[in-house]
Amino acid sequence: MDIITILQNKPVLIGLHLGFAIIGIDAFLWLLWKFRSNNSSQKNGTKTALVGVISFIFSWIAGGYYYVVFYGALVKPIIKTGMAPWAHNVVMEIKEHIFLFIIPLAMTVFFITLLKMEEIEQFKLHRLVCWLSGTVAVLGLLIGVMGFIISAAARWGAIG
Amino acid sequence: MNMNKLKLIIASAYAALVSVLFVVIITIISELVPSLKDWLKNLFGHHWVSKSILSVLLYLIVAKILYFSVCNNNNGQRVRKSLKLLLIFVVLGVVAISLFYIGHYFHIF
Repeated sequence: MDIITILQNKPVLIGLHLGFAIIGIDAFLWLLWKFRSNNSSQKNGTKTALVGVISFIFSWIAGGYYYVVFYGALVKPIIKTGMAPWAHNVVMEIKEHIFLFIIPLAMTVFFITLLKMEEIEQFKLHRLVCWLSGTVAVLGLLIGVMGFIISAAARWGAIG
Repeated sequence: MNMNKLKLIIASAYAALVSVLFVVIITIISELVPSLKDWLKNLFGHHWVSKSILSVLLYLIVAKILYFSVCNNNNGQRVRKSLKLLLIFVVLGVVAISLFYIGHYFHIF
């Protein structure tokens, strides 16, 4: 079994999607904590933000591949005929679209981290960068909760 | 201090804002106008893939245009304004998408 076949495996795709999302969320939570505690060197902040952006991109690719290739044909019908069709019609639809907000937002935070801490203070961006980092993390967590709801609906749709 | 970094931040913030606005508008309209959803499906094989690619391209293009058109004389106020607007539009975007799909599910619109 070659690496491409392994990567196209459904559980592997979900694992990659979730795993990279967790790394992305943690990166921006870390960044938030660093900025709030004024404990960030410019280099560390930039590296953390970059890890976050790249992780979200990989999460997007893995999740997007799974969604396009497998979810529509295999999972969606189960949810829609199960006990919680709203898990697709409302939750999945919201999830798949607000996910698209994350990367441009995360990129903007990354660009802010290119400034030195003194410049962030000088331009009074400290509070905003905290809010923006926090928003990226909260969006990620919200999307994670929605993913859990969708998975649960699929499980119970298959069992029930 | 590096003015290019400030230009980059302003350009990215407004480009991200435009991208968010685009996703919200095209998502709502494509649900209400099936022919638009079909067009998106035909563009890159799946409507969500098309929205993803278009939103990324829009972000990149708008960021590039703004970077080269934003003047070098940037102060903190301009940067803060762009970031505040981005934050507001992201929150409004989440609310708009959520309310739309809830309303759509209950056949309100």
